[in-house]
Amino acid sequence: MKRLILFTFIVMLVLPLSAQKRYDEIEFPEINPIQMPDVEVFNLDNGTTFYLVEDNELPLINMRITIKTGSILEPENKTGLASMTGSVMREGGSTNYPADELNELLENNAASMSTFIGMGSGGGSLNILKEDFDELLPVFVDLLQNPAFPEDKIDLAKTQTNSSISRRNDEQQQIGYREFQNLVYGENTVYTREKEYETIDNITRDDLINFHKEAFVASNLTVGVVGDFDSGEMKVMLEKAFGSLPSGKETNLLYPEVDYDFPTTVNFIDKPDVNQSFVTMGHIGGLRESPDYAALQVMNQVLSGGFSSRLFQEVRSNLGLAYSVGGSYGSNINYPGIFRITTMTKSSTTAEAIDAIIKEVKKLQDEPVTEKELRDTKDQFLNSLVFRYDSKSKILNERINNEYNGLSQDAFDEFVEGVKATTIEDIQRVAKEYLRPDNMQILVVGNAEEIGNQLEKYGEINEVDISIPEPPSDEEPAVAGDAEKGKEWLRTMADAVINPDTEFESIDEIAVVIQETQMGAMEIQSSSTTNYRNITSERIMQTPQGEMQMSIENGGGTLTMMGNEQPLPPQMAQPMINEIKRSYISVSLDTDNLNAEYLGDETVDGTSYVLLRVDLNPQVTFLIDPETGLPARSRYSEMNPQTGQQAKAENVYADWQVVDGVAYAYSVTSYVDGEKGGEMNVESHSVNK
Amino acid sequence: MKTVGKKFTTSFLLLLFIFNFGNVQAQYLEEFEEKTTEFTLDNGLHFIVIERHDAPVASFYTHVNVGGADEPVGNTGIAHIFEHMAFKGTKIIGTTNWEEEKENIEQLDDAYSDWLRTKYLPNPDSSTLAEKWAKFEGLQEKSKEYVVNNEFTQIIEQNGGTGLNASTGADLTNYFYSLPSNRTELWFNLEADRFKNPTYREFYVEKEVVREERRMRTDSNPIGRLVEEFLAVAYTAHPYGRPVVGWDSDITATTIADAKDFYEKFYVPSNITIAIAGDVDPDEMKGFAEEYFGDLREGKPAPIVTTLEPAQRGERRFTIEGNSQPIMLIGYHGVSESHTDFEALNLVGNIISSGRTSRLYKKLVDEEKMALQVGAFNGFPGSRFGSMFLTLAVPNMDIDVDTLEHAIYEEIEAVKEGALTEEELNRARTNIRAGLIRGLNNNTGLARNFASTHATKGNWREVFNRLDALEAVSLDDLQRVAQQYLVRKNRTVGATVRAES
Repeated sequence: MKRLILFTFIVMLVLPLSAQKRYDEIEFPEINPIQMPDVEVFNLDNGTTFYLVEDNELPLINMRITIKTGSILEPENKTGLASMTGSVMREGGSTNYPADELNELLENNAASMSTFIGMGSGGGSLNILKEDFDELLPVFVDLLQNPAFPEDKIDLAKTQTNSSISRRNDEQQQIGYREFQNLVYGENTVYTREKEYETIDNITRDDLINFHKEAFVASNLTVGVVGDFDSGEMKVMLEKAFGSLPSGKETNLLYPEVDYDFPTTVNFIDKPDVNQSFVTMGHIGGLRESPDYAALQVMNQVLSGGFSSRLFQEVRSNLGLAYSVGGSYGSNINYPGIFRITTMTKSSTTAEAIDAIIKEVKKLQDEPVTEKELRDTKDQFLNSLVFRYDSKSKILNERINNEYNGLSQDAFDEFVEGVKATTIEDIQRVAKEYLRPDNMQILVVGNAEEIGNQLEKYGEINEVDISIPEPPSDEEPAVAGDAEKGKEWLRTMADAVINPDTEFESIDEIAVVIQETQMGAMEIQSSSTTNYRNITSERIMQTPQGEMQMSIENGGGTLTMMGNEQPLPPQMAQPMINEIKRSYISVSLDTDNLNAEYLGDETVDGTSYVLLRVDLNPQVTFLIDPETGLPARSRYSEMNPQTGQQAKAENVYADWQVVDGVAYAYSVTSYVDGEKGGEMNVESHSVNK
Repeated sequence: MKTVGKKFTTSFLLLLFIFNFGNVQAQYLEEFEEKTTEFTLDNGLHFIVIERHDAPVASFYTHVNVGGADEPVGNTGIAHIFEHMAFKGTKIIGTTNWEEEKENIEQLDDAYSDWLRTKYLPNPDSSTLAEKWAKFEGLQEKSKEYVVNNEFTQIIEQNGGTGLNASTGADLTNYFYSLPSNRTELWFNLEADRFKNPTYREFYVEKEVVREERRMRTDSNPIGRLVEEFLAVAYTAHPYGRPVVGWDSDITATTIADAKDFYEKFYVPSNITIAIAGDVDPDEMKGFAEEYFGDLREGKPAPIVTTLEPAQRGERRFTIEGNSQPIMLIGYHGVSESHTDFEALNLVGNIISSGRTSRLYKKLVDEEKMALQVGAFNGFPGSRFGSMFLTLAVPNMDIDVDTLEHAIYEEIEAVKEGALTEEELNRARTNIRAGLIRGLNNNTGLARNFASTHATKGNWREVFNRLDALEAVSLDDLQRVAQQYLVRKNRTVGATVRAES
């Protein structure tokens, strides 16, 4: 007894000051086994592949689709087409479920749908409560199959994209990330192309329709479903919903080779409103198929993975130079990744941080990692594997991603074995073979004044130009013409059109308009009264649908049909207002206030005309017959309400008749972007004094 | 005809849906009553354990009821600095010799405080200052001898820990990560150790890391700069007006002694709530909790914030210059989350800006194409105290911020005039409910939601009961709160403008 008491006493004396047991004295029980769910896989005749995983924890169903397509397919002058197709599909709704109706239907049911197209894949999702599945599955399939691509949503997408372009130089990390890719892959490649105002402007509705049509076919489609359902019943519903999709042709995605010869460069972008440098350094990375993939991943982890990595320890914890430091040797599946290390440090320690990083990269090559580092890194990886399969969605996603990327079902298991087998020598070997600390490219986005000359020691500094190219102008390029001569010709034209001293209120016109349509030419009787000073107009047209009255006044318009009056949308009213403003009569009435430039002569069909650009908004250029002083043609740009695009229009005037001192072209033929759009044959005009 | 038919189906379904959802909270509450165990240790530390046996993993979440708003004057940023220190190890983790290191840390802090006092003298003698700094730096160099770099986090990562992080807000500080579920005891060991035995190791180096974080999130970031300025203008008295990351000079001035004092006052068991979700046994958790946290000192109840923001006397407007495209913030002083009007203001924000059918999106983004982005939400920068109803507006290219500002006011005026409909209200409720359900299937989210709800509302069941509160809000309430709070006199408006070159 006495002995035992004494023993206890001694033990108490030697116990550490902290009462609790040490962390490394804990014995862990066996971990419960991971329950891998069954994944049901099947195909439809049209080529669609399905993956189903049941998960009845909550009454939800999540569907995820993958489409074989990508922005690497889009033409260079329409960069942004793929992503715009993906977003307008959802934003614009389908023919059967237009946007507003679709949004209400979904949001009333707390459901969500999405579609997108990225660089090397496209996809979509449907997340809903299970009781809505029957109703919303066909709606989702309809959206995938019959998106409406309405003009107003295309406009919206363009406006939003343009705004994003205008903001792309606001945040230094965004700039640094983007420009480093340019340094590695080159500026104008499928991997780095930027949306520009011009490429967005070049995209038409037809482009979206065609891009969608090629991509969203069954041969390109994989569907994954996880949630609270019975696989047997689900299969029947999916067959019904997706069975009618056209099989189409499977897309072939070609990833161009990257030509990289390890240049050593120093690049700088000035951002005067920051006090920190965003530093990126590195060079090209590798491919997933490399036999050294696993060893490189272990190397990554040692260098820059998490709180325990060398970069974190040195640059952040020891030196206090950065909050954010990280990087990786990137290995992509289809094209080489990027080896990149980034950090953000105060301007004054930019070079110190760069030096610390270079030192760590070299150290990986010069010295073997320690036994402990390798063991800790492997433990970290192997012990966290259980999280890889901690939800059914993760299991489904991994399966689909492997399939899409052409990786085998046991690609991941092989990788795990590769990690286990990696040795200290392997890490040093791959560090020497794949890393080039002396041939890195350095990019700093920061405050030039604060940084001073710190970067000079790394080599000649290349200042990267990141200015955003201006949007394409709606106007003709402003070639300066002869203003004095212009004014003379303007007066000549005005005198020819309106006999001097003629005063009038408005002009009545009776005409036949021949409109080119897809079904052929359509003749419409029209009579109108136009006041060119107040910009008001009344036009009555006899259309096959009945009498139609269009009124323009106070900068807007109305349309009356079958007794129903409704406002004209601005995109229809504005061109009509513009037409009045730039007409030869309006221009002739206002010569005192208008300026014009003589741009030289132009010969059309053997006749030489005077080119006269009138500086008004909207701008117009007349081709004046020097003999008569009358305009033979007018040219201008106008938004085409059907396509939302700027179109180049030209009117050809002939058969001039003069009534009450006002000359009027009795034959007008219109061309839009070189194609005949319609013609007008005037029967009579009269002048209201 | 087709459309009519479809509309009918939709609204008919909607009715069914609401009917089904009527007792959804009751149903889930019942389910979670079965899966959830809670207990409070004698020292006041509260635990919530949520069983989810789907996968052999567990998530841990520690919610400390202290944030930027609780900081003493002159030490803004200290809650965040302390959060960083909680990763620096304990008396047995991260040190080669704690006894010696402890002495070094004390000397280091004395040397720094001495330098600091000299620095702020009216006419500090530069050689004395340099001398004192050199002494501090010498001690700092010496301190490196004792440090085992990042050992604490390494232990977690080595054991398969994922999602390791922490955050500090105006209202709270939280610490969280997940482990394979057989390593639960390790979490108890490490978490108890770090909060029982903070060491303030590498304090002064870490302050430089924090300063870099400030440069990254605030000084060099257009939205960060705007938000900091906005709060400083909107709040004159209440600490919500101060940046959580701290003013640069306060970061400089904060010492280890300050941090110790802060820890003593706020890191007391009654101010902490812990939730564990995953493949765990509640009885075993209770045993570990008592073993590891039972001896956490009880301390005194944490100090309370007593300053109230006085009523605003008129609209406040400001601009800040930068070299980025314009962004605008419009905020109105509202209420704290314990106030009965809080949910009504939440609903107003949700209805006018959440989803494609919302008023601000439909009008300003979709139809008028004025805004690249517009959002409204209630409860900024926190919700423990009188908070703000905030609108963020990002104009499209070539659109004036003024034009966008007035368009937003038009929508707010419409709400005041009673434009919101029952359909919109129901839709908002439906989406909030569904959002809640969607968050119930992951351990991290569950632990976070249950712990923070307990900490702020006294009971995790409020996660579900909140839906009843939403049910009780009427259209009249929405109109009334809009009329009461969303008024010009109560407003702060700020925008970034391009610096004149």
